[in-house]
Amino acid sequence: MSESYDFLFKFLVIGNAGTGKSCLLHQFIEKRFKDESNHTIGVEFGSKIISVVNKMVKLQIWDTAGQERFRSVTRSYYRGAAGALLVYDITSRETYNALTTWLSDARMLASQNIVIILCGNKKDLDADREVTFLEASRFAQENELMFLETSALTGENVEEAFVQCARKILNKIESGELDPERMGSGIQYGDAALRQLRSPRRAQPQGTQECGC
Amino acid sequence: VTRAQDIPPAVLRQREVKWLDMLSHWDKWMIKRFNKVRLRCQKGIPPALRGRAWLYLSGGKVKREQNQGKFQELDSQPGDPKWLDVIEKDLHRQFPFHEMFVSRGGHGQKDLFRVLKAYTLYRPEEGYCQAQAPIAAVLLMHMPAEDAFWGLVQICEKYLPGYYSPGLEAIQLDGEILFALLRRVSPPAFRHLEKHKIDPILYMTEWFMCAFSRTLPWASVLRVWDMFLCDGVKIIFRVGLVLLKCMLGTREKLKACQGQYETMELLRAIEPRYMQEGFLVREVRCGYAKCVTAKQPVSLA
Repeated sequence: MSESYDFLFKFLVIGNAGTGKSCLLHQFIEKRFKDESNHTIGVEFGSKIISVVNKMVKLQIWDTAGQERFRSVTRSYYRGAAGALLVYDITSRETYNALTTWLSDARMLASQNIVIILCGNKKDLDADREVTFLEASRFAQENELMFLETSALTGENVEEAFVQCARKILNKIESGELDPERMGSGIQYGDAALRQLRSPRRAQPQGTQECGC
Repeated sequence: VTRAQDIPPAVLRQREVKWLDMLSHWDKWMIKRFNKVRLRCQKGIPPALRGRAWLYLSGGKVKREQNQGKFQELDSQPGDPKWLDVIEKDLHRQFPFHEMFVSRGGHGQKDLFRVLKAYTLYRPEEGYCQAQAPIAAVLLMHMPAEDAFWGLVQICEKYLPGYYSPGLEAIQLDGEILFALLRRVSPPAFRHLEKHKIDPILYMTEWFMCAFSRTLPWASVLRVWDMFLCDGVKIIFRVGLVLLKCMLGTREKLKACQGQYETMELLRAIEPRYMQEGFLVREVRCGYAKCVTAKQPVSLA
């Protein structure tokens, strides 16, 4: 069966309208830019199996509507997400300013241990940049987020964003910081499950590489 | 119930004559022979008259006449930049494969901007909701900007009141109603969704907010809208119930999708045969979904 994997993680893609969330998802799954796309109303989906540190991980990705008034609706998608891409548009200060709200929503409504990677999308539009790499990087550090600048157009760093987020979750499972068996962890064992991970080596020092770059 | 493309030209001509007669004595028909109007909407409005018929059915025509000059007045105002930004971003994201909306800055996108902007000025407290764009776009495919504006006003205020308002409470309430009706239409589908904790809001938001315009094949969208603009939101409920029942109504189907995500994926990929216009219209007109929603005049009014 081609559907064989060790773990399954539920992922979210969140952030303001028009930041390129659906395009990031599309680029990740299809390896190309989706030029003519509808804006998302409600939720879109995608899933893909990736290989991370010798494990096959299936990502189930929930891509949400960005407009403010959809928040009351999209919140019901958050439950039990293990990871999230928090997306802003480097050419729009407004989308950057909204990050704090998105962040608190995600931490409150998904799981407390949700692993989040901040994505400054539209990296290809550097000429129109309104948010510098440095300030976003500082914001990420202060809020314990990983950080990448991405381009859904060229594909730069798109796969990396998903992979890094997944790798960090795996690290946390191995270190015992995350327990896949706990309800609402957003993690499930696959059919090829490496059950030895069920008794994590808790004595081991926690994975210290904060940014899995 | 035949498919639009299979209707013989002679029959189509006859229907056009009938519709022309109805349109020229509209009030009389609506008051005295509404059942006949409804039946003709169910059979499908002739394409050449669909725009006019929609405008009459929705009450957009009356609204336009009561508010002469209003659209032009709104159209000439600059609008709130807060909304304009969001609207601009969405202009090229409506039915990008439709000829009218293909080119950036083309007349389709320009009119869409005018209609949506005018609405934010008409109801500043409501502003712009992204789900209004596909609704306005479908109307614009059938009528000029001013008419489409009044059609949009009617849909937002009379057909789907509160759907696009900040907070989106109305759509969540209708989600609960849909779920309650599903219990009677298809107990297996109901139990499955309940078991996997799949909130109605997870699958019906786009269906209802866009009146299925982004879900169904185009021929079916038109037929559903013919009925929707005649009979109102209960048509949307029925279509939703038919799709849920068809996709999740049997044990074999449910076996194949154990889990929340799998079920959601299934509902995002509805089998074409269930969305085919002939099948869908027949089910909506005569199916069990109809019996159930017909008994619910209060909650579905």
